[in-house]
Amino acid sequence: MKEQSSLGSTLVKKLTGNLAATIVVGTTLVLAVVIGVEGGPSQVINSIVTGGMWALLAVGLALVFGVMNVPHFAHGESFMVGAYVAYFVFNPIHTSLKENPNTFLGVTAPFLAMLAAAVAGLILGVILERLLFYPLRLKTKSGWVMNAFLLTVGISFILTNGTTLTLGPNFRGIPRYWDVPPLQVGSVRVAVDRIIAFFIAIISIVALWFFLRQTRTGRAIRAVSQDELGAQMMGINLNFIYPLTFALATAMAALSGASLLFMFQAYPTVGLKPLYFAWYVVMLAGLGNVVGAIVGGFIVAVLQSATQLFTFTVTVLGHEFQIGGIAWEDVIPTFVMIIVLLVVPSGIFGSEVKGVQEQ
Amino acid sequence: MLQLKNLDASYGFLQILWDVSLHIADGEFVGLIGPNGAGKTTTLRTIAGLLKPMKGEVLFKGHKMNTVPAHETTRMGISYISEDLNLFVDMSVRENLLMGAYIVRDQQKQLETLDFVYELFPRLKEREGQLAGTMSGGERKMLAIARGMMSNPLLLLVDEPSLGLAPHLVTDVFKSLRRLQETGVTLMLVEQRVNATLEITDRAYVMEQGRIVMEGPSSELMTNEHVKAAYLGI
Amino acid sequence: MASIEMERKNDASPLGAITAAMKRIGISPLGLVLLVVVALLPLIPPFNQEHMVRWLIMGAFLAAQAIAFDFTAGYINVVNFGFAALLGLGAYTSAILANKSPVLMVQPGLSPWIGIWIGAIVAGLVGLGLGWLTLRLRGIFAAVMAWFVGIALMGLVRNLTPLTRGPLGMNPSSLLNTTANLPYYYIILIMMLAVYVSLRLVTESHYGLAFKAIGQNLDAARASGINPTRYRVFNFALSSLFAGWLGGFYAHYYGSLTPQTLMHTSKTVEVLALVYIGGRGSMWGGMFIAFPFVFFIEYLRSNLTELPGLHLVIYGLLMVLVMILYPDGLAGLYNWAVEKIKGLGNSG
Ligand SMILES: Nc1ncnc2c1ncn2[C@@H]1O[C@H](COP(=O)(O)OP(=O)(O)O)[C@@H](O)[C@H]1O
Ligand SMILES: [Mg+2]
Repeated sequence: MKEQSSLGSTLVKKLTGNLAATIVVGTTLVLAVVIGVEGGPSQVINSIVTGGMWALLAVGLALVFGVMNVPHFAHGESFMVGAYVAYFVFNPIHTSLKENPNTFLGVTAPFLAMLAAAVAGLILGVILERLLFYPLRLKTKSGWVMNAFLLTVGISFILTNGTTLTLGPNFRGIPRYWDVPPLQVGSVRVAVDRIIAFFIAIISIVALWFFLRQTRTGRAIRAVSQDELGAQMMGINLNFIYPLTFALATAMAALSGASLLFMFQAYPTVGLKPLYFAWYVVMLAGLGNVVGAIVGGFIVAVLQSATQLFTFTVTVLGHEFQIGGIAWEDVIPTFVMIIVLLVVPSGIFGSEVKGVQEQ
Repeated sequence: MLQLKNLDASYGFLQILWDVSLHIADGEFVGLIGPNGAGKTTTLRTIAGLLKPMKGEVLFKGHKMNTVPAHETTRMGISYISEDLNLFVDMSVRENLLMGAYIVRDQQKQLETLDFVYELFPRLKEREGQLAGTMSGGERKMLAIARGMMSNPLLLLVDEPSLGLAPHLVTDVFKSLRRLQETGVTLMLVEQRVNATLEITDRAYVMEQGRIVMEGPSSELMTNEHVKAAYLGI
Repeated sequence: MASIEMERKNDASPLGAITAAMKRIGISPLGLVLLVVVALLPLIPPFNQEHMVRWLIMGAFLAAQAIAFDFTAGYINVVNFGFAALLGLGAYTSAILANKSPVLMVQPGLSPWIGIWIGAIVAGLVGLGLGWLTLRLRGIFAAVMAWFVGIALMGLVRNLTPLTRGPLGMNPSSLLNTTANLPYYYIILIMMLAVYVSLRLVTESHYGLAFKAIGQNLDAARASGINPTRYRVFNFALSSLFAGWLGGFYAHYYGSLTPQTLMHTSKTVEVLALVYIGGRGSMWGGMFIAFPFVFFIEYLRSNLTELPGLHLVIYGLLMVLVMILYPDGLAGLYNWAVEKIKGLGNSG
């Protein structure tokens, strides 16, 4: 009579009885505490906020791969599109608000911007799927995964450079969405933008989880990811599920781009870093694994904070090498990843549906 | 209910079915027997819309089905239970069954059918919450058959349900198919167990090397010299 | 250039013997003609202008990269997404070894003619490690892992400022004591040929078959007794070795190195696009297309300076179109045409 397991119990099940996961999660927690002591609690809160966003992005990646078998390399560009849309919706409102203040609009405008970004993501997702992946599917007889991957590389190139071409390489950003003082949480002051960004990530992930578990269409999506042929035999139309899945993933990425606009700003290559970390999460947690993606998101964010926070210098032949700091953000995690993959090649949570490892 | 007219089908350049014609009347229980690799599965896949025929016609209740995609054939009332089962391994038994009723929008109706298949396969009810991927071979078979019934099909195509099943379970499965026929479902059964198939079906076709080589009432086929020699080992 | 699988009767004439010998190293008669044309091009106006020669050098440089890249992508079906970083590794190794400037930590002052080889070996060794690391990963995850490693390498180069001057970049010494471009052109052309012929020799041997088998179906390859480990690692290492070697040329020809211009993922994508447009698995497709492509892109760039990034959009568009409309690329088209012509010949 237990039809669905709850998010929490699944999580616990995943963590216990898996040595690699336990070690990595344990280390992460210790690291988080050390970060808290060394860098102050605000650092920990930062990691939690970014962790939520990496998780949201990674869930999209995992979904697209699990259902459509597409290793999505243009996911960062969905993030970029979201950031731009949010900027272009929010900025005019914000400017006009300076002349005639309006509390209601001041509070809701950011949400409007994010909503617009999510809707733009949905539309972009459907268009890309119908325009590009659909014909590719008809054309490809073998080697679909690699072809789809290369297609997304092409899409990424077009979107990034097309944006440079039309909007220029300059940054468009906002200092903050809400002009209110930071909240006092215990002894720490946290910007409202961050808190809301975090809740948007969590709410989106939980909503997605319930959608996939509890609704007819959501179940159909999972069915396709588990057995495509079986799903068709149940009467599920792949030409409905594919665009829907791709649109959902794109919308989630666009939403994170929008809600993090105050942190990342909008510029053509803004998606590269989110893409990198989202893929990082997915490699770490194993694809097709939503719960893994959530935990992985936080692990990666903590690792990232630790890299930024702890720096030391090595002197060789009278020259100083600085190790650590923000410039090492894409170096040290890779080395950690290499070590993890050497020990557990299919990601720390293994993969139920589609393994990373060659069988 | 169903009619195949001079059907040719192929995988790529490799033609498998040659000029296959057969028909199934409403409420009939028809068998399709033949050696391994004869093209029985291919025939079912073509009917189910998973494979487009090269030539000839598939007619279902008078509709031409040649280019109807698999998910549409299901919606029109054809349910195909494949050899590979194609279960959703990370879903529970109950979720799998509900997926089977994906095209049934009426929740009440879904639950009624669920009760019906649980009655038919009590073991599935006991294992309701278990993940399909963790079940035994026999249980999976049952689940696949039960799931195939969940869409309330008009025509049920069953591909080798006895394959890899313990003998007493085979009897169970065959009994449940018989019961299904009694509820008005039309059935087509592909089997290697020729004897048992001819015992429960009304009529049967024999397929060899992609062609229908013989057809007739099952009772007559059972006494046929060729069938006896080639399939019954008499 | 075009290695055509043309069935030619090997008559005993000297011409026949030469054709046969050329065929063994993957050069068909038509390819030979094209090669001669490309070699003579910088002597003929308007191609003898210095900027045109520079374009030709760029073309040969990209062509050589495309061959080395296709050796991995087209054969074992793993996209080495860290390719540009390995190229940069070779370039930086050689540049550091050649350094004489006291600004940097070390001043070995080694001749670039030697440094280039050491750079190649270093890149080859890292490629070996990368091949080994990604061994157990499915094709796509191997690509992603290579991407991570590439990003990390670029980050290292950026961060180890006492060695590399970081984002400021290095100014390595020149390979030749001349400002003329033409000698460099012949050097890179010979390098390109060397890459092509050596990799051709490998793919024409039993290695080629094993690579293709692994690329198409790893399990089936394993079942038929091929040990994927050895082949995949070897393939990665060899391809990276050549990447590093070419990087050395870049360093000592352009005389300016920054992590961003050489090692960035988008540099890999440019090569990848060439390979796919040219026809993956053909070796010659990307090489062939590189020359006209560079001319087209550079022409655009010099005429449309107000549209930065247009050439990259074109790269992306062409790649997407090729994937969707004609996944076999130019080489596939060529083979199809040859088949057609042969068919006509037979029936006529
Ligand atoms: N996907 C496929 N691609 C190519 N050939 C296939 C495929 N599936 C089956 N075949 C071939 O088609 C023939 C008929 O197969 P099948 O219909 O499965 O026979 P049966 O179900 O009667 O044992 C066999 O020779 C088999 O090898
Ligand atoms: Mg069969």
